[in-house]
Amino acid sequence: MAMHDQSATSPANTQARAAGGQNLPRYTDWQAICVIFRLWRRQGARLLVGALLALAALACGLALMQVSGVRLAGCVLGEIIVTTALLRWVGAGRVTLRYAERLFAHDAMFRALADLRVWFFHSLARGAAAGLGFRRAGDMLSRLVSDIGALDGLYLRIVLPLLCACLTFPALLIIVGRQSLLLGLGVGVLFACSSFLVPWLIARSGRKSAEQTAHLLAHLRISVLDLVGGLREIRAFGAEGRMLARVQAADAALLHGQMGMARRAAFANALAFLFGQIAIFLVLLAIGGVVLPRLGALEGVSLLFLTVAAFESAVLLTRAGLQAGIMGASARRVVEMAVQPGAARSQVALHDAPENTHIRLEAVRFRWAEDRPWVLKGLTLDIPPGSRVAILGPSGVGKSSLAALLLRAATQQEGHIFLGGEDITTLRPESVRSKMAWLSQATHLFDDTIRANLLLGRPDASEQDLWQALDQAAVSDVVRSLPEGLDTWVGEGGVRLSGGQGRRIALARTLLARAPVLILDEPATGLDAQTEQEFLRTLNTVSEGRTVILIAHRLTGVEKLDRIWRLSDGVARAAAL
Amino acid sequence: MRNEKAAIRNWTRLQSRLGRQAARSVVGSGLLSSLAGIGQAWCVAVVLGHALVGWQGAAEGSIFPAWPFLLFPALAILRALCMIQADIAAARAGIVARRRLRGEVMAAILAGGPALLRRTHSGVLASLVVDRIEALDGFFGRWVPASVLWMAAPVAILVPVGIMQPRAALILGLCGVAVPVGQAVFGIGAAVASRNQFLAMTRLQARFLDRIKGIATIVLAGRTEDETRRLADAADELRVRTMKVLRVAFLSSASIDCAMVGAFILLAVLDGRQALVMQANGPSPALQHVVVASLFALLAVPEFFAPLRSFALAYQDRAHAQGAATAILDLPEVTERPVLDGARTVNANGVMVAFDDVGFTWDPARGPALEHVTFTVPAGETLVLAGPSGAGKSTIMELLLGFIAPQSGRVLFNGAPLQTIVPDALSRVVSWIGQKPVLFAGTLRDNILFAKPDADERELASALRSAAVDEFLPTLPDGLDTHIGEGGFGLSGGQAQRVAIARAYLKNAPVLLLDEPTAHLDPVTEKSVFESLQRLAVGRTVILATHSAAAHMFKGRRIDLQNGRVVNRQGAA
Repeated sequence: MAMHDQSATSPANTQARAAGGQNLPRYTDWQAICVIFRLWRRQGARLLVGALLALAALACGLALMQVSGVRLAGCVLGEIIVTTALLRWVGAGRVTLRYAERLFAHDAMFRALADLRVWFFHSLARGAAAGLGFRRAGDMLSRLVSDIGALDGLYLRIVLPLLCACLTFPALLIIVGRQSLLLGLGVGVLFACSSFLVPWLIARSGRKSAEQTAHLLAHLRISVLDLVGGLREIRAFGAEGRMLARVQAADAALLHGQMGMARRAAFANALAFLFGQIAIFLVLLAIGGVVLPRLGALEGVSLLFLTVAAFESAVLLTRAGLQAGIMGASARRVVEMAVQPGAARSQVALHDAPENTHIRLEAVRFRWAEDRPWVLKGLTLDIPPGSRVAILGPSGVGKSSLAALLLRAATQQEGHIFLGGEDITTLRPESVRSKMAWLSQATHLFDDTIRANLLLGRPDASEQDLWQALDQAAVSDVVRSLPEGLDTWVGEGGVRLSGGQGRRIALARTLLARAPVLILDEPATGLDAQTEQEFLRTLNTVSEGRTVILIAHRLTGVEKLDRIWRLSDGVARAAAL
Repeated sequence: MRNEKAAIRNWTRLQSRLGRQAARSVVGSGLLSSLAGIGQAWCVAVVLGHALVGWQGAAEGSIFPAWPFLLFPALAILRALCMIQADIAAARAGIVARRRLRGEVMAAILAGGPALLRRTHSGVLASLVVDRIEALDGFFGRWVPASVLWMAAPVAILVPVGIMQPRAALILGLCGVAVPVGQAVFGIGAAVASRNQFLAMTRLQARFLDRIKGIATIVLAGRTEDETRRLADAADELRVRTMKVLRVAFLSSASIDCAMVGAFILLAVLDGRQALVMQANGPSPALQHVVVASLFALLAVPEFFAPLRSFALAYQDRAHAQGAATAILDLPEVTERPVLDGARTVNANGVMVAFDDVGFTWDPARGPALEHVTFTVPAGETLVLAGPSGAGKSTIMELLLGFIAPQSGRVLFNGAPLQTIVPDALSRVVSWIGQKPVLFAGTLRDNILFAKPDADERELASALRSAAVDEFLPTLPDGLDTHIGEGGFGLSGGQAQRVAIARAYLKNAPVLLLDEPTAHLDPVTEKSVFESLQRLAVGRTVILATHSAAAHMFKGRRIDLQNGRVVNRQGAA
């Protein structure tokens, strides 16, 4: 099943999925949001208290305006209908409840969004994750992460205002309706239009334009990346003007799309506002006895102040509607990615990997998904423990698929892979991975200290172990020369280190894991030719006694190897050393 | 550190000033809308006052003045128009500012040139141009106008209220002044709250993104459970820490609430007392005036506090600006290349290239990259630069391309120092092929025509043939119109290099710079690429940096470099 997970990651596959039927789960926006609400069940009580406080604060807010008006009006009529004490109570209630609501709602929101992230991380790790590193999925992941960021506002900006409006609506209907049924109906309908209809319309239209904007943003990003990455070419060919024009065109398209959205939002806002104004005007007419049956002066004042206050909160909902469209799409993408069809559990009890690390592949056939071409078509390999082998071939020939299979990040459709004589599908994936350490250009350096990055390889490693691994990776001198040594922050993706240094830190981490098999998947790609050779020389010395599987598109001539296979057309052929 | 902070502050201030000009229309509409709101409050107060006093006088069916019923809807429509105008103007201000900033940043990047990539990752630059600037929308659209309106609008409202009811204006004014005071007491207020919340979210989001990007590494290292727990812990710790700050910071937003509630209660109680006293003497025009003015003041309270609230809400947009400032200030300043006296072009027929005692140092800590390098390549001949990486080959290439200028000595094209040549003229005479050509998002045709957009079909076909691109064309799904680059069809290293060769054919420049063009190719591909390059080299001045053994295919001069010095010469170099 894992291969379906993989297929979701490449753009080509997304198209394939849209065209042909695929058994990836499809969700509507609403279903996706429900999945997220279910996830928040654990925080349900807190979220509910936050909502109740919000409602209470709103009620106090409405009451405050109303009682102040009635107090004044009462005085004019020569009676104190609202006591100063009541006024004070309502006022104090408004301030404290609002404060409590803010605190509670924010606390609940922080908890809920932590849950969301943990859940997403865990789902991704369990399902598709392992395969992601084998494909260039960085951009897609960033997009998903910003989708999750967009969902942060779901509770505070959408759920709370909507709940408040849902409560205000019947309250308004009853209070106004008791004085005058006709007026109550009118104000109620207007409130519904302003708080529910307009936000709903803008949410619906916003979804489409949100998707279009996302597309334009991606287009801008690609042209900027082209320009930045191609600075040499651009200078060499004197193409500054042309490339700048390209970026500016992409920028203009994006900004034009956003302007359209802003215009629509502005009109929606004004429309919601006008509904409120009409409602106030109706009350005014009723007070004057024009068209509508005349209200008593006191009731009139009370209703008018209430209506003014009630419609004030409706503005929030138009904004919520605008975001709801965006959030719905985000929720759908996140949920579809995280909720994968449960991997068919093997009926056989899985056991731990044996000590012996002899690797044998027999007639392995593999493809990433059913609608994808076969990558491996009967691959047979035999890698004895302690041997150093290379598997060569141009890109796209299935070398990385091989690494994914060995690491149990994917499962072959036919054939067998044996580790120490046991079929690896009968072994626990974690225990297989404890035998095999993996290093590739996709190996990630975390935005953390060098120490924390190394400890990921083996959490219980001592200081001495760390330095030994750095020594082996020939990077200890560099680390020693850094002012903060092991506690130096490596920066996002290791940007504070040079390419070669970063790769060596990753190597040290891999070595620290003490796995008997090293899978090196194009470990030096992206380094310049000289750094690459130095790095490969280091690999020759550090990996003695371990099985080394070097996967590359070519050899540089410095590698020490026992066997070489060339992979082509889905099978391996032994090549001369 | 302090300088940096000052620079950020200056930048933010400059942007605010620039933004304020664009936001004038937002501010104008906002003020007009506030005043219209006040006018509406007056209409409502008149109607209510009439009803109350009329009721009190038991004058059934007393005639209401008609004008409030006409003015109120008119003002409502005016306000709606103002709101539309303000929203659209705010969006436009954000768009204009983003377009301007993107232009500036792109200019800085182009000016910085390839040297910029030595210290900044291209992904970081791209995210600055796209995301950081995108996040500034709120700064220009919301924060800048709000930072003017929060003072202007309440003052504008105080004036009519003061005319009608001086005491109410005093109460409102005092409560309004209490807001900044309260905010100062609780730490610049809602501002701090929203900034802290924003920063906390940003940090959590960054950590989360980092872990998600490296998820394969985590899973394959068997650390999933560990990392899940740590992610949860980090989020929780962040929550506890942020809530501590928010607890205090929300007090300041409570201070706005407090001020508003205070205004309501004071107005209701004081004006109520006055009305109570006056009504004892029966209905009178004076009573009606007092009632109308009091109701008016009460209705003005929400209008009065609304701008203060939007100001507090917009504060987090300011934090975005500070984040962007750091990244933008990190870019080199755009300096016009000084056009020296006697700037000239180069004759395009046959160029002799020479280095005359050239020295260059990237980083004094690591020693010079080039020292006393001297060589001459006559027009139409080939020079092979050999030596390990770090010997200075790439530095020579960057000097020849004009990306950097020699710190000592001279680089000569037909005897003219490079700095005196017009940049356009230089890029016309030089073709360059590096280790890995950049393929832009677009069709294969666009990518080759990149070298010469106005080339005709015949020229293109000849370049394709000479570079042997036509050999792999049939294997592409749409031939020349196949989309390559980001998100498109992946070309192999050898194929990409052939695209670069085709570009060079099309450009047809007299000088050809080859910087390890086969470093990433396997031996078979390397040989055939070298053959194409040999054909391309005919009749051109060629400088080839390589440490490949296959370079012997190029006949000509050769120098060996080591640690930035020429250690061996062959031929007449």
